[in-house]
Amino acid sequence: MLEKFFGGGKLEKKALESIKNYLQIFISAQECLKNLFLTENLEKSYCIENLEREADSVRREIISTIYEGAFLPYIRPNLCAFIEITEKAFDFMKICAFEFRYLNKEFYQTIKEEVLKIANINIEMAEILYRAFQSLMEKNNLREKNLAIRIYEKKVDEIKLDLIEKVRQKEVTNFWEGKNIDEFLNALVKISDIIEDASDYLYILDISLK
Amino acid sequence: MTELILLTSFLIAFAIGSNDASNALSISIGAGVIRFKKAVFLFGILVFAGIWLNGNRVMETVGKNLIQVNPETLGFSLLISAVLIILSNWKKFPLSTHQIIIGSLVGNALASNSPVNFLSLFKILLSWITSPIIAVFISFFVYKLVEKFFLKIAFFKIERFLKTFLLISASLISYNTGANEVATVLGPVVYSGISINFFLLLSISSFLVFLGAYILSDRVIETVGKGILPLDPFSGFVAQISAGVSLFFFTLLGMPISTTYCMIGAITGVGMSKGLKTVKLGLIKKIAINWGLSLSLAFFLSFVITKIILIKFH
Repeated sequence: MLEKFFGGGKLEKKALESIKNYLQIFISAQECLKNLFLTENLEKSYCIENLEREADSVRREIISTIYEGAFLPYIRPNLCAFIEITEKAFDFMKICAFEFRYLNKEFYQTIKEEVLKIANINIEMAEILYRAFQSLMEKNNLREKNLAIRIYEKKVDEIKLDLIEKVRQKEVTNFWEGKNIDEFLNALVKISDIIEDASDYLYILDISLK
Repeated sequence: MTELILLTSFLIAFAIGSNDASNALSISIGAGVIRFKKAVFLFGILVFAGIWLNGNRVMETVGKNLIQVNPETLGFSLLISAVLIILSNWKKFPLSTHQIIIGSLVGNALASNSPVNFLSLFKILLSWITSPIIAVFISFFVYKLVEKFFLKIAFFKIERFLKTFLLISASLISYNTGANEVATVLGPVVYSGISINFFLLLSISSFLVFLGAYILSDRVIETVGKGILPLDPFSGFVAQISAGVSLFFFTLLGMPISTTYCMIGAITGVGMSKGLKTVKLGLIKKIAINWGLSLSLAFFLSFVITKIILIKFH
Protein backbone atom coordinates (compact mmCIF):
# COMPACT_ATOMS: atom_id res chain seq x y z
CA MET A 1 0.00 0.00 0.00
CA LEU A 2 2.86 2.35 0.91
CA GLU A 3 4.48 1.50 -2.40
CA LYS A 4 1.28 2.55 -4.18
CA PHE A 5 1.03 5.69 -2.08
CA PHE A 6 4.56 6.87 -2.80
CA GLY A 7 4.70 5.38 -6.29
CA GLY A 8 3.99 8.72 -7.96
CA GLY A 9 1.15 10.37 -9.84
CA LYS A 10 0.20 9.85 -13.47
CA LEU A 11 2.25 12.76 -14.78
CA GLU A 12 5.32 11.66 -12.82
CA LYS A 13 5.03 8.10 -14.11
CA LYS A 14 4.61 9.35 -17.66
CA ALA A 15 7.67 11.63 -17.34
CA LEU A 16 9.80 8.87 -15.79
CA GLU A 17 8.85 6.38 -18.51
CA SER A 18 9.65 8.96 -21.18
CA ILE A 19 13.05 9.74 -19.61
CA LYS A 20 13.87 6.02 -19.53
CA ASN A 21 12.82 5.74 -23.17
CA TYR A 22 14.95 8.80 -24.01
CA LEU A 23 18.03 7.27 -22.37
CA GLN A 24 17.45 3.96 -24.18
CA ILE A 25 17.37 5.85 -27.48
CA PHE A 26 20.61 7.49 -26.36
CA ILE A 27 22.24 4.07 -25.86
CA SER A 28 20.91 2.87 -29.24
CA ALA A 29 22.40 5.93 -30.93
CA GLN A 30 25.79 5.20 -29.32
CA GLU A 31 25.62 1.61 -30.55
CA CYS A 32 24.65 2.80 -33.99
CA LEU A 33 27.70 5.12 -34.03
CA LYS A 34 29.98 2.28 -32.99
CA ASN A 35 28.59 0.04 -35.78
CA LEU A 36 29.23 2.81 -38.25
CA PHE A 37 32.88 3.06 -37.13
CA LEU A 38 33.25 -0.72 -37.12
CA THR A 39 31.67 -1.56 -40.46
CA GLU A 40 32.45 1.73 -42.22
CA ASN A 41 29.10 1.30 -43.93
CA LEU A 42 27.99 4.88 -44.58
CA GLU A 43 24.33 3.86 -44.83
CA LYS A 44 24.44 3.26 -41.08
CA SER A 45 25.33 6.89 -40.44
CA TYR A 46 21.71 7.86 -41.13
CA CYS A 47 20.34 5.86 -38.22
CA ILE A 48 21.85 8.45 -35.85
CA GLU A 49 19.85 11.24 -37.44
CA ASN A 50 16.69 9.15 -37.18
CA LEU A 51 17.33 8.34 -33.56
CA GLU A 52 18.16 11.97 -32.82
CA ARG A 53 14.80 13.03 -34.31
CA GLU A 54 13.00 10.40 -32.23
CA ALA A 55 14.85 11.53 -29.09
CA ASP A 56 13.98 15.14 -29.86
CA SER A 57 10.27 14.41 -29.88
CA VAL A 58 10.56 12.39 -26.62
CA ARG A 59 12.53 15.28 -25.08
CA ARG A 60 9.74 17.75 -25.94
CA GLU A 61 7.19 15.38 -24.41
CA ILE A 62 9.25 15.09 -21.20
CA ILE A 63 9.68 18.85 -20.79
CA SER A 64 5.99 19.53 -21.43
CA THR A 65 4.93 16.76 -19.00
CA ILE A 66 7.21 18.24 -16.34
CA TYR A 67 5.77 21.72 -16.80
CA GLU A 68 2.21 20.35 -16.87
CA GLY A 69 2.84 19.73 -13.18
CA ALA A 70 4.94 16.61 -12.74
CA PHE A 71 7.34 16.77 -9.77
CA LEU A 72 7.96 19.58 -7.31
CA PRO A 73 8.90 22.83 -9.08
CA TYR A 74 12.03 22.84 -6.95
CA ILE A 75 13.52 19.86 -8.83
CA ARG A 76 12.17 20.67 -12.30
CA PRO A 77 15.07 22.91 -13.46
CA ASN A 78 17.71 20.25 -12.67
CA LEU A 79 15.63 17.50 -14.26
CA CYS A 80 15.12 19.57 -17.41
CA ALA A 81 18.81 20.52 -17.44
CA PHE A 82 19.66 16.81 -17.32
CA ILE A 83 17.50 16.14 -20.38
CA GLU A 84 18.74 19.17 -22.28
CA ILE A 85 22.40 18.47 -21.64
CA THR A 86 21.97 14.89 -22.87
CA GLU A 87 20.49 16.31 -26.05
CA LYS A 88 23.84 17.99 -26.73
CA ALA A 89 25.44 14.53 -26.88
CA PHE A 90 22.99 13.66 -29.68
CA ASP A 91 24.17 16.75 -31.55
CA PHE A 92 27.79 15.65 -31.24
CA MET A 93 26.92 12.13 -32.39
CA LYS A 94 25.19 13.62 -35.42
CA ILE A 95 28.26 15.74 -36.21
CA CYS A 96 30.46 12.64 -35.80
CA ALA A 97 28.35 10.59 -38.21
CA PHE A 98 28.17 13.45 -40.70
CA GLU A 99 31.93 14.12 -40.67
CA PHE A 100 32.65 10.39 -40.86
CA ARG A 101 31.02 10.30 -44.31
CA TYR A 102 33.71 12.69 -45.59
CA LEU A 103 36.64 11.27 -43.64
CA ASN A 104 39.59 9.93 -45.66
CA LYS A 105 39.13 6.18 -45.15
CA GLU A 106 42.83 5.47 -45.61
CA PHE A 107 43.63 7.85 -42.78
CA TYR A 108 40.74 6.42 -40.75
CA GLN A 109 42.49 3.02 -40.66
CA THR A 110 45.35 4.61 -38.70
CA ILE A 111 42.99 5.88 -35.97
CA LYS A 112 40.27 3.20 -36.18
CA GLU A 113 41.45 1.34 -33.07
CA GLU A 114 41.30 4.45 -30.86
CA VAL A 115 38.01 5.62 -32.36
CA LEU A 116 36.44 2.22 -31.64
CA LYS A 117 37.80 2.28 -28.10
CA ILE A 118 36.15 5.66 -27.52
CA ALA A 119 32.89 4.48 -29.12
CA ASN A 120 32.87 1.43 -26.82
CA ILE A 121 33.55 3.58 -23.77
CA ASN A 122 30.74 5.94 -24.80
CA ILE A 123 28.33 2.99 -24.94
CA GLU A 124 29.44 1.87 -21.49
CA MET A 125 29.02 5.41 -20.16
CA ALA A 126 25.54 5.75 -21.69
CA GLU A 127 24.51 2.47 -20.09
CA ILE A 128 25.85 3.59 -16.71
CA LEU A 129 23.98 6.87 -17.12
CA TYR A 130 20.78 4.88 -17.68
CA ARG A 131 21.46 2.81 -14.57
CA ALA A 132 22.30 5.99 -12.63
CA PHE A 133 18.90 7.39 -13.56
CA GLN A 134 17.25 4.17 -12.44
CA SER A 135 19.04 4.62 -9.10
CA LEU A 136 16.87 7.67 -8.54
CA MET A 137 13.80 5.45 -8.75
CA GLU A 138 15.09 2.44 -6.86
CA LYS A 139 17.51 3.10 -4.04
CA ASN A 140 20.89 2.13 -5.53
CA ASN A 141 24.34 3.63 -5.24
CA LEU A 142 24.30 6.66 -7.53
CA ARG A 143 27.64 7.92 -6.26
CA GLU A 144 29.33 4.75 -7.44
CA LYS A 145 27.91 5.18 -10.94
CA ASN A 146 28.87 8.83 -11.01
CA LEU A 147 32.42 7.84 -10.11
CA ALA A 148 32.52 5.13 -12.82
CA ILE A 149 31.45 7.69 -15.42
CA ARG A 150 34.24 10.03 -14.30
CA ILE A 151 36.82 7.25 -14.59
CA TYR A 152 35.63 6.39 -18.11
CA GLU A 153 35.78 10.04 -19.09
CA LYS A 154 39.38 10.18 -17.93
CA LYS A 155 40.12 7.16 -20.11
CA VAL A 156 38.65 8.94 -23.12
CA ASP A 157 40.89 11.94 -22.37
CA GLU A 158 43.93 9.65 -22.39
CA ILE A 159 42.92 8.07 -25.71
CA LYS A 160 42.35 11.57 -27.05
CA LEU A 161 46.05 12.38 -26.39
CA ASP A 162 47.10 9.27 -28.35
CA LEU A 163 44.79 10.27 -31.17
CA ILE A 164 46.24 13.78 -31.31
CA GLU A 165 49.74 12.29 -31.50
CA LYS A 166 48.67 10.17 -34.49
CA VAL A 167 46.84 13.01 -36.20
CA ARG A 168 49.97 15.17 -35.94
CA GLN A 169 51.88 12.60 -38.06
CA LYS A 170 49.32 13.06 -40.83
CA GLU A 171 50.09 15.62 -43.46
CA VAL A 172 46.96 17.62 -44.13
CA THR A 173 46.74 18.62 -47.79
CA ASN A 174 43.85 21.06 -47.73
CA PHE A 175 41.70 23.14 -45.38
CA TRP A 176 38.56 21.00 -45.69
CA GLU A 177 40.40 17.79 -44.91
CA GLY A 178 41.87 19.37 -41.76
CA LYS A 179 38.54 20.79 -40.73
CA ASN A 180 36.84 17.44 -41.30
CA ILE A 181 39.35 15.55 -39.10
CA ASP A 182 39.24 18.21 -36.40
CA GLU A 183 35.44 18.32 -36.25
CA PHE A 184 35.12 14.54 -36.30
CA LEU A 185 37.57 13.98 -33.44
CA ASN A 186 36.36 16.96 -31.46
CA ALA A 187 32.74 15.75 -31.59
CA LEU A 188 33.75 12.18 -30.75
CA VAL A 189 35.58 13.10 -27.55
CA LYS A 190 32.93 15.65 -26.49
CA ILE A 191 30.27 12.93 -26.07
CA SER A 192 31.90 11.56 -22.92
CA ASP A 193 32.22 15.10 -21.51
CA ILE A 194 28.49 15.58 -21.95
CA ILE A 195 27.67 12.24 -20.30
CA GLU A 196 29.85 13.23 -17.35
CA ASP A 197 27.98 16.55 -17.04
CA ALA A 198 24.62 14.75 -17.26
CA SER A 199 25.71 12.35 -14.53
CA ASP A 200 26.70 15.32 -12.36
CA TYR A 201 23.19 16.75 -12.79
CA LEU A 202 21.72 13.45 -11.59
CA TYR A 203 23.98 13.55 -8.57
CA ILE A 204 22.97 17.15 -7.76
CA LEU A 205 19.33 16.16 -8.19
CA ASP A 206 19.76 13.24 -5.80
CA ILE A 207 21.22 15.36 -3.02
CA SER A 208 18.90 18.33 -3.62
CA LEU A 209 16.02 16.94 -1.53
CA LYS A 210 18.14 15.61 1.34
CA MET B 1 -22.89 46.33 22.43
CA THR B 2 -23.72 42.86 21.05
CA GLU B 3 -23.46 44.24 17.54
CA LEU B 4 -20.03 45.75 18.28
CA ILE B 5 -18.79 42.50 19.86
CA LEU B 6 -19.89 40.45 16.86
CA LEU B 7 -18.74 42.95 14.28
CA THR B 8 -15.26 43.32 15.76
CA SER B 9 -14.77 39.58 16.29
CA PHE B 10 -15.81 38.94 12.69
CA LEU B 11 -13.40 41.67 11.58
CA ILE B 12 -10.57 39.95 13.47
CA ALA B 13 -11.56 36.62 11.92
CA PHE B 14 -11.36 38.24 8.47
CA ALA B 15 -7.93 39.72 9.35
CA ILE B 16 -6.70 36.30 10.53
CA GLY B 17 -7.72 34.83 7.17
CA SER B 18 -6.02 37.56 5.17
CA ASN B 19 -2.77 37.49 7.11
CA ASP B 20 -2.33 34.11 8.79
CA ALA B 21 -3.42 31.87 5.91
CA SER B 22 0.14 32.30 4.65
CA ASN B 23 1.45 30.39 7.71
CA ALA B 24 -0.52 27.37 6.59
CA LEU B 25 -0.50 27.62 2.83
CA SER B 26 2.54 29.47 1.55
CA ILE B 27 4.94 26.51 1.69
CA SER B 28 2.59 24.10 -0.11
CA ILE B 29 1.57 26.67 -2.72
CA GLY B 30 5.19 27.77 -3.20
CA ALA B 31 6.22 24.14 -3.62
CA GLY B 32 3.59 23.66 -6.32
CA VAL B 33 1.84 20.91 -4.34
CA ILE B 34 -1.56 22.61 -4.47
CA ARG B 35 -3.04 25.58 -6.32
CA PHE B 36 -4.16 28.73 -4.48
CA LYS B 37 -7.95 28.32 -4.89
CA LYS B 38 -7.97 24.65 -3.86
CA ALA B 39 -5.66 25.44 -0.95
CA VAL B 40 -7.87 28.25 0.35
CA PHE B 41 -11.00 26.05 0.15
CA LEU B 42 -9.20 23.31 2.05
CA PHE B 43 -8.01 25.94 4.54
CA GLY B 44 -11.56 27.20 5.11
CA ILE B 45 -12.94 23.71 5.70
CA LEU B 46 -10.13 22.84 8.12
CA VAL B 47 -10.48 26.11 10.03
CA PHE B 48 -14.14 25.26 10.62
CA ALA B 49 -13.29 21.66 11.57
CA GLY B 50 -10.56 22.93 13.92
CA ILE B 51 -12.72 25.36 15.85
CA TRP B 52 -15.66 22.97 15.93
CA LEU B 53 -13.74 19.90 17.09
CA ASN B 54 -10.85 21.32 19.14
CA GLY B 55 -11.57 25.00 19.73
CA ASN B 56 -13.47 24.58 23.01
CA ARG B 57 -10.42 24.37 25.33
CA VAL B 58 -8.76 27.53 24.01
CA MET B 59 -12.12 29.32 24.03
CA GLU B 60 -12.59 28.28 27.65
CA THR B 61 -9.10 29.48 28.65
CA VAL B 62 -9.49 32.90 27.04
CA GLY B 63 -13.19 33.52 27.67
CA LYS B 64 -13.71 31.82 31.03
CA ASN B 65 -10.50 31.01 32.92
CA LEU B 66 -8.41 34.11 32.15
CA ILE B 67 -10.98 36.84 32.78
CA GLN B 68 -14.56 37.25 33.67
CA VAL B 69 -15.87 38.81 30.50
CA ASN B 70 -17.64 42.09 30.95
CA PRO B 71 -20.15 42.26 28.07
CA GLU B 72 -20.52 46.01 28.52
CA THR B 73 -16.91 46.75 27.61
CA LEU B 74 -15.86 43.65 25.67
CA GLY B 75 -16.79 45.31 22.38
CA PHE B 76 -14.22 48.09 22.98
CA SER B 77 -11.53 45.59 23.86
CA LEU B 78 -12.19 43.65 20.65
CA LEU B 79 -12.37 46.89 18.70
CA ILE B 80 -8.89 47.88 19.94
CA SER B 81 -7.63 44.40 19.04
CA ALA B 82 -9.19 44.60 15.58
CA VAL B 83 -7.70 48.06 14.92
CA LEU B 84 -4.23 46.98 16.10
CA ILE B 85 -4.33 43.74 14.09
CA ILE B 86 -5.52 45.47 10.91
CA LEU B 87 -2.99 48.30 11.38
CA SER B 88 -0.12 45.88 11.97
CA ASN B 89 -1.13 43.86 8.89
CA TRP B 90 -1.47 46.99 6.81
CA LYS B 91 1.75 48.64 8.00
CA LYS B 92 3.59 45.28 8.09
CA PHE B 93 4.39 45.53 11.83
CA PRO B 94 5.02 42.00 13.07
CA LEU B 95 2.53 42.14 15.98
CA SER B 96 1.05 38.86 17.19
CA THR B 97 -2.73 38.43 17.02
CA HIS B 98 -2.80 36.35 20.21
CA GLN B 99 -0.81 38.82 22.25
CA ILE B 100 -2.91 41.73 21.07
CA ILE B 101 -6.15 39.96 22.01
CA ILE B 102 -4.92 38.68 25.38
CA GLY B 103 -3.30 42.05 26.20
CA SER B 104 -6.42 44.01 25.39
CA LEU B 105 -8.73 41.56 27.23
CA VAL B 106 -6.62 41.79 30.41
CA GLY B 107 -6.38 45.60 30.08
CA ASN B 108 -10.13 45.77 29.63
CA ALA B 109 -10.82 43.50 32.60
CA LEU B 110 -8.51 45.41 34.93
CA ALA B 111 -9.97 48.77 33.87
CA SER B 112 -13.51 47.57 34.48
CA ASN B 113 -12.59 45.93 37.80
CA SER B 114 -13.45 42.47 36.49
CA PRO B 115 -11.50 39.59 38.04
CA VAL B 116 -8.35 38.45 36.21
CA ASN B 117 -6.98 34.97 36.88
CA PHE B 118 -3.24 35.69 37.13
CA LEU B 119 -2.39 32.00 37.32
CA SER B 120 -4.11 31.49 33.99
CA LEU B 121 -2.32 34.56 32.61
CA PHE B 122 0.99 33.19 33.86
CA LYS B 123 0.27 29.85 32.14
CA ILE B 124 -0.50 31.67 28.89
CA LEU B 125 2.71 33.75 29.13
CA LEU B 126 4.65 30.59 29.87
CA SER B 127 3.13 28.83 26.85
CA TRP B 128 4.18 31.78 24.64
CA ILE B 129 7.76 31.24 25.78
CA THR B 130 7.75 27.45 25.72
CA SER B 131 5.82 26.88 22.48
CA PRO B 132 8.54 28.19 20.11
CA ILE B 133 11.20 26.43 22.22
CA ILE B 134 9.32 23.13 21.95
CA ALA B 135 8.95 23.75 18.20
CA VAL B 136 12.76 24.20 18.02
CA PHE B 137 13.34 20.80 19.62
CA ILE B 138 10.63 19.01 17.65
CA SER B 139 11.93 20.33 14.33
CA PHE B 140 15.54 19.56 15.29
CA PHE B 141 14.69 15.89 15.97
CA VAL B 142 12.20 15.57 13.12
CA TYR B 143 14.85 16.93 10.74
CA LYS B 144 17.44 14.40 11.94
CA LEU B 145 14.90 11.57 11.80
CA VAL B 146 13.54 12.38 8.35
CA GLU B 147 17.07 12.97 7.03
CA LYS B 148 18.00 9.42 8.08
CA PHE B 149 14.78 8.06 6.58
CA PHE B 150 15.45 9.87 3.28
CA LEU B 151 18.89 8.26 3.01
CA LYS B 152 17.13 4.90 2.80
CA ILE B 153 14.64 5.71 0.06
CA ALA B 154 14.98 6.57 -3.62
CA PHE B 155 14.95 10.17 -4.86
CA PHE B 156 11.59 10.09 -6.63
CA LYS B 157 9.98 8.46 -3.60
CA ILE B 158 11.34 11.32 -1.46
CA GLU B 159 9.77 13.75 -3.90
CA ARG B 160 6.42 11.98 -3.60
CA PHE B 161 6.74 11.82 0.18
CA LEU B 162 7.40 15.57 0.39
CA LYS B 163 4.42 16.35 -1.85
CA THR B 164 2.07 14.32 0.35
CA PHE B 165 3.42 15.46 3.69
CA LEU B 166 3.63 19.13 2.72
CA LEU B 167 -0.11 18.89 2.21
CA ILE B 168 -0.60 17.12 5.54
CA SER B 169 1.49 19.70 7.42
CA ALA B 170 -0.41 22.55 5.72
CA SER B 171 -3.67 20.89 6.80
CA LEU B 172 -2.41 20.61 10.37
CA ILE B 173 -1.58 24.33 10.54
CA SER B 174 -4.96 25.19 8.92
CA TYR B 175 -6.75 23.04 11.50
CA ASN B 176 -4.86 24.80 14.31
CA THR B 177 -5.72 28.20 12.86
CA GLY B 178 -9.31 27.31 13.64
CA ALA B 179 -8.69 25.43 16.88
CA ASN B 180 -6.36 28.04 18.32
CA GLU B 181 -6.35 31.44 16.57
CA VAL B 182 -10.05 31.74 15.80
CA ALA B 183 -10.87 30.16 19.16
CA THR B 184 -8.85 32.92 20.87
CA VAL B 185 -11.05 35.53 19.21
CA LEU B 186 -14.32 33.72 19.82
CA GLY B 187 -13.61 32.62 23.40
CA PRO B 188 -14.63 35.95 25.00
CA VAL B 189 -17.62 36.25 22.64
CA VAL B 190 -18.93 32.79 23.54
CA TYR B 191 -18.51 33.39 27.29
CA SER B 192 -19.82 36.97 27.23
CA GLY B 193 -23.35 35.71 27.61
CA ILE B 194 -24.70 37.31 24.46
CA SER B 195 -27.40 35.29 22.83
CA ILE B 196 -26.22 33.89 19.55
CA ASN B 197 -26.43 30.45 18.02
CA PHE B 198 -23.06 28.77 18.73
CA PHE B 199 -23.00 26.88 15.43
CA LEU B 200 -23.87 30.03 13.51
CA LEU B 201 -21.11 31.98 15.27
CA LEU B 202 -18.48 29.37 14.39
CA SER B 203 -19.76 29.08 10.81
CA ILE B 204 -19.76 32.83 10.14
CA SER B 205 -16.29 33.25 11.71
CA SER B 206 -14.84 30.35 9.70
CA PHE B 207 -16.42 31.72 6.54
CA LEU B 208 -14.88 35.14 7.21
CA VAL B 209 -11.47 33.56 7.81
CA PHE B 210 -11.90 31.80 4.47
CA LEU B 211 -13.06 35.03 2.81
CA GLY B 212 -10.08 36.96 4.17
CA ALA B 213 -7.76 34.27 2.88
CA TYR B 214 -9.50 34.14 -0.50
CA ILE B 215 -9.58 37.90 -1.09
CA LEU B 216 -6.40 39.19 0.53
CA SER B 217 -3.90 36.44 1.29
CA ASP B 218 -2.60 35.68 -2.21
CA ARG B 219 0.14 38.32 -2.18
CA VAL B 220 1.43 37.36 1.27
CA ILE B 221 1.36 33.68 0.27
CA GLU B 222 3.23 34.40 -2.94
CA THR B 223 5.88 36.46 -1.16
CA VAL B 224 6.45 33.94 1.62
CA GLY B 225 6.06 30.81 -0.52
CA LYS B 226 8.23 31.82 -3.42
CA GLY B 227 10.71 33.58 -1.19
CA ILE B 228 11.24 30.66 1.19
CA LEU B 229 10.40 27.42 -0.47
CA PRO B 230 12.46 27.31 -3.66
CA LEU B 231 15.42 27.16 -1.28
CA ASP B 232 14.51 23.84 0.28
CA PRO B 233 11.17 21.99 0.38
CA PHE B 234 12.54 19.45 2.86
CA SER B 235 13.31 22.14 5.46
CA GLY B 236 9.97 23.79 4.74
CA PHE B 237 8.13 20.55 5.36
CA VAL B 238 10.02 19.81 8.60
CA ALA B 239 9.44 23.35 9.89
CA GLN B 240 5.74 23.26 9.10
CA ILE B 241 5.00 19.81 10.50
CA SER B 242 6.97 20.59 13.67
CA ALA B 243 5.21 23.90 14.18
CA GLY B 244 1.91 22.11 13.55
CA VAL B 245 2.64 19.41 16.14
CA SER B 246 3.74 21.99 18.71
CA LEU B 247 0.61 24.09 18.05
CA PHE B 248 -1.68 21.09 18.31
CA PHE B 249 -0.08 20.07 21.60
CA PHE B 250 -0.73 23.51 23.09
CA THR B 251 -4.22 23.59 21.58
CA LEU B 252 -5.01 20.37 23.44
CA LEU B 253 -3.76 22.06 26.62
CA GLY B 254 -6.08 24.96 25.86
CA MET B 255 -3.28 27.51 25.45
CA PRO B 256 -3.74 30.33 22.93
CA ILE B 257 -0.35 30.46 21.18
CA SER B 258 1.05 32.11 18.08
CA THR B 259 1.45 30.06 14.87
CA THR B 260 4.04 32.51 13.57
CA TYR B 261 6.26 32.10 16.64
CA CYS B 262 6.00 28.33 16.42
CA MET B 263 7.01 28.54 12.76
CA ILE B 264 9.99 30.75 13.67
CA GLY B 265 10.95 28.26 16.39
CA ALA B 266 10.65 25.34 14.00
CA ILE B 267 12.73 27.09 11.32
CA THR B 268 15.37 27.80 13.99
CA GLY B 269 15.36 24.08 14.85
CA VAL B 270 15.97 23.19 11.22
CA GLY B 271 18.83 25.70 11.19
CA MET B 272 20.25 24.23 14.39
CA SER B 273 20.40 20.78 12.81
CA LYS B 274 22.95 22.26 10.43
CA GLY B 275 24.98 23.86 13.23
CA LEU B 276 24.39 26.24 16.11
CA LYS B 277 26.00 29.09 14.20
CA THR B 278 22.93 29.33 11.97
CA VAL B 279 20.78 30.56 14.88
CA LYS B 280 20.32 34.31 14.53
CA LEU B 281 20.42 36.00 17.92
CA GLY B 282 19.26 39.24 16.32
CA LEU B 283 16.02 37.55 15.26
CA ILE B 284 15.39 36.22 18.78
CA LYS B 285 15.92 39.75 20.14
CA LYS B 286 13.48 41.13 17.57
CA ILE B 287 10.89 38.52 18.56
CA ALA B 288 11.29 39.38 22.23
CA ILE B 289 10.76 43.09 21.48
CA ASN B 290 7.74 42.30 19.29
CA TRP B 291 6.40 40.01 22.00
CA GLY B 292 6.58 42.68 24.67
CA LEU B 293 5.36 45.43 22.34
CA SER B 294 2.21 43.58 21.18
CA LEU B 295 1.19 42.69 24.68
CA SER B 296 1.94 46.00 26.39
CA LEU B 297 0.55 48.18 23.59
CA ALA B 298 -2.74 46.26 23.51
CA PHE B 299 -2.93 46.20 27.31
CA PHE B 300 -2.19 49.91 27.67
CA LEU B 301 -4.61 51.06 24.96
CA SER B 302 -7.37 48.77 26.17
CA PHE B 303 -6.90 49.81 29.80
CA VAL B 304 -6.87 53.55 29.06
CA ILE B 305 -9.75 53.53 26.57
CA THR B 306 -11.94 51.32 28.76
CA LYS B 307 -11.27 53.61 31.75
CA ILE B 308 -12.16 56.71 29.71
CA ILE B 309 -15.36 55.10 28.45
CA LEU B 310 -16.37 53.93 31.90
CA ILE B 311 -15.74 57.36 33.44
CA LYS B 312 -17.67 59.07 30.65
CA PHE B 313 -20.71 56.81 30.71
CA HIS B 314 -21.02 56.15 34.42
